[in-house]
Amino acid sequence: MGKTLQQPRQEEKSTEKKRKPVLVVKNIKKTYPSGEMALKGVSLEVYEEEFVALIGLSGAGKSTLLRCINRLVEPDSGEVYLDGVEITSLDKKSLRKARRDMGMIFQEFNLVERLTVLQNILTGRLGYIGFWRSLFRKFPKKDIQRAIELSELVGMKPYLYKRADKLSGGQRQRVGIARALIQNPKFLLVDEPTSSLDPAIGHDVMDEFHRTAKILGVPVLVSIHDVNLALEYADRIIAMRDGKIIFDGLAKDVTREKLSEIYQYEI
Amino acid sequence: MNTVQYAPSKIKKALVISSILLVFLALLIWSAYGVLVRDTNWSKIGTIEQVWRAITRFFPPTWSYVLQLGKPTLDTFLIALLGTFIALVLSIPVAWFAARNFTPFFPITYPLGRFIMTISRSVHEVVWALIFVAAVGLGPFAGIIALGMRSVGFTAKLTAEQIENIDYRPIEAIRAVGGSPFQVFMYGTVPQVLPLFIGTAIFQWDINIRRATIIGIVGGGGLGLVFSQKMAAYQYTHATACLVAILILVLVGEYTSTRLRTLIQ
Repeated sequence: MGKTLQQPRQEEKSTEKKRKPVLVVKNIKKTYPSGEMALKGVSLEVYEEEFVALIGLSGAGKSTLLRCINRLVEPDSGEVYLDGVEITSLDKKSLRKARRDMGMIFQEFNLVERLTVLQNILTGRLGYIGFWRSLFRKFPKKDIQRAIELSELVGMKPYLYKRADKLSGGQRQRVGIARALIQNPKFLLVDEPTSSLDPAIGHDVMDEFHRTAKILGVPVLVSIHDVNLALEYADRIIAMRDGKIIFDGLAKDVTREKLSEIYQYEI
Repeated sequence: MNTVQYAPSKIKKALVISSILLVFLALLIWSAYGVLVRDTNWSKIGTIEQVWRAITRFFPPTWSYVLQLGKPTLDTFLIALLGTFIALVLSIPVAWFAARNFTPFFPITYPLGRFIMTISRSVHEVVWALIFVAAVGLGPFAGIIALGMRSVGFTAKLTAEQIENIDYRPIEAIRAVGGSPFQVFMYGTVPQVLPLFIGTAIFQWDINIRRATIIGIVGGGGLGLVFSQKMAAYQYTHATACLVAILILVLVGEYTSTRLRTLIQ
């Protein structure tokens, strides 16, 4: 649990340290059939081990952006690169393989209600499991062990055989986190992980999640509704409004004026 | 002032209800006259004594014969079981077609699925049995297929409705981990639909036990066939013995299915 998932990149032998980004988003645009333009040309980069918070009002396009990155929603134009691979040009089969490298955590947990905690965590490995094993739910021993390890990491080990629909919100989100982590992802896409939780629980979950991501060395792009939560945990803040990015900088550089501009009211 | 306002609508309501009742009563009297008075040959029915004597010919049931009905009872039971099984297998593709959100090609497959379900439920099991007896001959085989045809509609309809109402969130999650369409189906859709599917299966199996006895009469095999044979041979107390066996079978089936269904939940 103390080991990182990726080898640190070779530092280029130049005078300036040039980091290569893990995720590159170039000019993504998305208009919904209703005519509403959700993303009006969004570009960003996320580097190794960064914890980037995406903030903005509801409807600013945060959810859409996250889903365009792993193509749960197809962008109309623009490109997405994960570790140099162009996600947006992949065919269906290759896209499924690429999705294995992107863990996603959902606002409403998105667990399979009738399955147990252990089974839910294991579904994170489905991208690696063939037809017959999927049919009979026969996951490799290694995966099961890893699932148990991760359940312990997120504090859900006592509940391994409990059905997901018997869990509280905070517990469910922990399972969701474990499910994303069992993919050994190169990147984590997180959509408002605490919006469906009580503020106190949400804070705990956020705390543990942040710690876990840092321990495992996985870069994170997380959309957060609560500004204070974002400022508390993020290395970098990206703010969106009306489908565009209006701020992209270090968390410590976020001033009161900037926040007013983002949220259009006096803080 | 308010009491005066309420009165007229109350009177109106009373008038409407009493006129409907009058029409109903008139229809009742008219049809009773037509069927009972005009079209019934009362002389043929005979006296009360004769009617009573006819009824008593069926009692008491020949209890010893009940014990010999083991094989026909088993036949009826198996006809119901296999018929239900066929219905279940068929209702998977039919439900898939009839589910608006997953049907493969909406303009064709959706109406087709709905059509199959409607036909299945509109044609009575006896008619289905007659069709298949004509097609494949007398005996349990015709009965099994007939029950399958009759049950598909119900199981597929409920399953299709359940499919149309699923929660998309786990489906989104399975797609996000890199799941194939089959895996999305197995882990996203099936866990949400399976319990209901099994519940309808058990429910239909119970109903099919009763249906199996009826279609036996038109040649479907099992207890129904024995019953019609005994009636044709004027062995009325043996026929009643058949009814006793049917009663036992149906009761056992009902009890079992209720217990099983509570287990599923």
